[in-house]
Amino acid sequence: MKKSSMVLLSTMLSFSVLLGACGKAEEKNTASETPKTETETPKTETEAPKKDVSLRVFSTFGGTDTAREAFQAALDEFTSKNPNVKIENDTMSANDDGFRTKVNTDMNSGNEPDLLFYFVGTDAQGFVDAGKVVPLNDLLDADAEWKNGFSPAALENTRQKDGNIYAVPLTGFYEGLFVNKKIFADNNLELPTDWDKMKTAVSTLSKKGIIPLAAPFDQSHYVIEHFILSAAGSKGHNAGLADGIDPNWEKGYAAMKELYDLGAFPKDAATIDLSMASNYFGEGKAAMIIEGSWAMGNWKDANVIDNTTVMPFPAMPGGLGTGKDVIGGFGSGFYLSKSTYDNADKKDAAVALLKHMTSPAVIEKIALANGGTPAAANVQIKGANQTATDGFAMAASATSVNNPIDSMVAPETFSTLRAGVQAVVTGKKSPADVLKEAKNIEDQNKK
Amino acid sequence: MNMKGDRKYIWIFLFPMAAFLTIFLYYPFFKSLYFSFFRTKGFFDKKFIGWDNYDRLVHDKLLGAATLHTLEIMVYVIIFQVGIALLLAVMVDNIPKLKGFYRSVFFFPVVISGTAISLLFVLFYNYNFGLLNSVLAGMGLEKVLWLSESNALRAIAVPTVWHYVGFYFVLFVTAMSKIPEDYYDAAKIEGISGFKKMVKLTVPLIMSDVKVVITLAITGTLKVFDFVWVISRAQNGTDVLGTYMYKKAMVDQNFGYGSTVAIYMVVLGVVIALLANRLLKTEEITY
Repeated sequence: MKKSSMVLLSTMLSFSVLLGACGKAEEKNTASETPKTETETPKTETEAPKKDVSLRVFSTFGGTDTAREAFQAALDEFTSKNPNVKIENDTMSANDDGFRTKVNTDMNSGNEPDLLFYFVGTDAQGFVDAGKVVPLNDLLDADAEWKNGFSPAALENTRQKDGNIYAVPLTGFYEGLFVNKKIFADNNLELPTDWDKMKTAVSTLSKKGIIPLAAPFDQSHYVIEHFILSAAGSKGHNAGLADGIDPNWEKGYAAMKELYDLGAFPKDAATIDLSMASNYFGEGKAAMIIEGSWAMGNWKDANVIDNTTVMPFPAMPGGLGTGKDVIGGFGSGFYLSKSTYDNADKKDAAVALLKHMTSPAVIEKIALANGGTPAAANVQIKGANQTATDGFAMAASATSVNNPIDSMVAPETFSTLRAGVQAVVTGKKSPADVLKEAKNIEDQNKK
Repeated sequence: MNMKGDRKYIWIFLFPMAAFLTIFLYYPFFKSLYFSFFRTKGFFDKKFIGWDNYDRLVHDKLLGAATLHTLEIMVYVIIFQVGIALLLAVMVDNIPKLKGFYRSVFFFPVVISGTAISLLFVLFYNYNFGLLNSVLAGMGLEKVLWLSESNALRAIAVPTVWHYVGFYFVLFVTAMSKIPEDYYDAAKIEGISGFKKMVKLTVPLIMSDVKVVITLAITGTLKVFDFVWVISRAQNGTDVLGTYMYKKAMVDQNFGYGSTVAIYMVVLGVVIALLANRLLKTEEITY
């Protein structure tokens, strides 16, 4: 026990530190390696007991998501039928941009989840182009029952630019102007179906100390989308900024200032986040909010939710919007990782889970929980409450259903547009300047 | 044992830490340096653009504003955080009993995560149903917009300062406990006490610790992120370097420019720390 044992001890010590540091990676390797060796044994029996498989499903059905429990229940249903499959329900809140980073780093570093629930369109373009997920066209064609379970429009909506479907949808969403009817009635106001009524409502409510429109400046995604949709119409909205600035976009920003000057936004609009804005509406402190269908699950106060309706954002004078244009679609779906698909042990279980999670029964449950439009063909559209029913009616009678702007421009461009909201309404910048700035960023991204 | 044998063990024991730092500090740093010469589009696409990011850096007005905001917080931190910590330390050092109790009490905020404290302050500052405005309303006064454009940065500096006072306080108390008792005995004989004792005796004797604390405070301020991000979402003139870099790299997915901002932060931090060290240059005191 002198030199040699000391050297041994210290080397072991240093190795244990190293191993500790990369313990997580080691675990993953062994998990995927052990089943492989088992496959090498020749398959003589056809009825061999199913091998244990563990799958990681990453989604945003966590935290405060209203469909969190329904999602977990659907996973549990699968594991109880398939006891050999273990599912890790890995979730992250969609409230901030952190989960995008998480998905992209996972995809980029060989740590892909087996099933991923994520956006389609620009958000997914990177890992789709990099071949990290498999096109599902053949799988869909091979299983008519599964394919026919989807409503064709929903499936079509998740198609990527290259013509392939990489993501199968669960529920769709719509965004709209949620209005607290009681506040309007109490103040003898008409619902904001046109721009004049909107202006009257805003100035009346703001004088009475009620927040007319709960909207944050920073997380102003929905504000930007709806003002621009109303100003530039469906075509102008969907054109993005790639081929030049649609002059009607300026009208959208100018309209934000018009309403801001009438006192539309909360006093602290600059520093609150979206959940605080939603909180203001949910507590009955605000009369209107522009939100998505998923948000109403968070408004628990019966006084608010039972008196809430949703309508399209009104058309503005001089704008091209019809007043019945809606932001919505099936902007997300389940992706199947290429690495999982190529792994003989995981493939069948992952595909089976994918089919289970997008079966009409599961879709119906999730849709009921989050108020989204079911992506299944024969699922009756029914809302969990009157607001949700109003929402489906609004989406059904829309003159156009448009994907949100952030799926059409680069992330940095959209940040510039968001940052422009406060600058424009407070008069620090003109709408034209903000749009020029955003266009400039967009062009640099195209390089 | 001869020295040669010892060295071998030293090498072996130093290796894990060196490896750890290389993997988690130097490698990412050089990777950032590498990325700063690229225009990135998301995670999968990048293009070499030479010095373009640095050119943008020089002309970036938002970055200039973020730098000024960071420096403003730095001033608050150096004056109030270090100042209050020093004051508390002197007072605690002068009481005969309950030193341990006060040490725990003052140190406690350091243990709480910055995000948790920030969320707490969101509920203090909120205009509509925040604690402060509820108190004001209760007294029949007008509500105040605490996070207004002129006030937001100062409002955020309050929890930032408060969070770490305890840490520096403990460093000061420890430094003071090392001062030999004879100095104080001599001071007593000379009739020096109270404030004069603090300024002429205690503080000069722990000057090297003060220097360390100021350096820590400076580098710590450059990393401020959670308070700003949670309390004001970096709006209303509160964008600091940490949040600006995060926005560029993570939200905008422009890792190239984000990395450039990160490199700028490192350079700025080193320069300010060196400057502070130069300004505070004093003779080392050995007891």
